[in-house]
This record gives sequence, structure tokens and C-alpha cells, in this order.
Amino acid sequence: MSQLTSSCYYGMRYLNTVSNGSDTHDGFKPAPKHESSGISLSDVVEQDVKDNPVMIYMKGVPEFPQCGFSSLAVRVLNHYDVPLSARNILEDPELKSAVKAFSHWPTFPQIFIKGEFVGGSDIILNMHQNGELKEKLKDIKPKQ
Amino acid sequence: MGVTKEQVESSLKAKLNPSHIEVIDTSGGCGASFVIEIVSEQFEGKRLLERHRIVNAALEEELKEIHALSIKKAVTPEQWKQQQESNQSNSAA
Repeated sequence: MSQLTSSCYYGMRYLNTVSNGSDTHDGFKPAPKHESSGISLSDVVEQDVKDNPVMIYMKGVPEFPQCGFSSLAVRVLNHYDVPLSARNILEDPELKSAVKAFSHWPTFPQIFIKGEFVGGSDIILNMHQNGELKEKLKDIKPKQ
Repeated sequence: MGVTKEQVESSLKAKLNPSHIEVIDTSGGCGASFVIEIVSEQFEGKRLLERHRIVNAALEEELKEIHALSIKKAVTPEQWKQQQESNQSNSAA
């Protein structure tokens, strides 16, 4: 967010101080729109699930879940020796909406493995019980 | 007032034509939390994630007010039959 703002700011400065040269055209680029409408947040989500082999959006944090379902999902994932990345959607209502829109899934927690949306707590528990989860996580590097 | 167990049941019955359905209100009466067990032919050939999506879609309106929805079972009639049989043989043993 701050990056967008600053690039916009420098664009304006360019426009005022440099009168010639092709570089000035940058100053006429439209300012980024929808800064707070969820578009940039959907990029955050996209980046999250790309960068983190196991990503969970939950209520609370893994050490202190604030909902039984989130707690269950964390407990299941902690059975495996894989790094767990998490975001607390209770702290950020806009992120919450962005995640829901990204996965087309109405409830939390939401778990993504290797960039793929897997589901919520019922599904992760089911996959744990039938061995699917072990299979899915086996090529993920153990946590340090 | 939140959603009632009957509303959840009737939406699911209308949209998924289940051969078995069980909806439990786990909210203690405020209608915000439900556990569902559902058997429907519409789950045939679909993996669990897609089955849950079907149930979520059927309850789109209700989910605006429901805070917690646990889908304990979303199985086909065939799977249901197998599970019932294995349960019976377990309890008989």
C-alpha cells in the first residue's frame, strides 16, 4: 500500500520538476485506483498462497486460536512436520472479504496447500483421517 | 432471530434432494451454528471439496446469518449404505 502511494507521489514530482524527455510520460500514468477496495488485498492473498506451502487464514493465531474450528485445523496440521503460515482474519475485515472472494468459500478457517485451496476444518480433518493429507504434505520441506 | 434448523433442512431438501439428512442446531438456540449430515446422489463423482461447495451454495442465504457450519458427512447413497453396514457389523462384533 505504502509503495503505491509513494510511486504516485514521485510521479507527481516528476511532472513538476522535469519538463523534457520521455521519462516525464510516467507522470501521466493514471494513479492506481481501488487502493482500498480489495484488489490489492487479493494480490496479498495470491502471494501468500504462492509463497507459503501451507497457508491458513484463521480466527486468532496458531498459538492462540479464537475459534474451535480454527483450533482444530491447526491441531491437525501440527501433526505434520511442515511450516505453517497463518494470518488472523479477525484483525482485518478487508482481508477476510478478500480471502472469501479468492476461494469462493464462506467460512473460516481456510487452508491452502502448495497454492491450492483445500477447504475448511471438516475437510482437513477428513483428509487427515483418510491419509490424503499425509500424501499432500510429504514433499514439503520440514520446518527448521 | 437467526436461522432455524427447519430452514436449513428445507433449503437442503429443496436443492439437494437428499435420501438422508440430519441437521443439528449446535448454537444453543440462537441459530448461528449447525452440524449437517447429508446423503445425496448429487455428490456422485465429486470430491469432498466440491461436495462442500454444493452444500454451501444451497445454503447461500442462510450462511449470511450462520456463523458456524460443520459438514460432518456429505456422501452418496452408495457410500451411506456401506457406512451403515460397516457400523452395524462393528456394533455386532
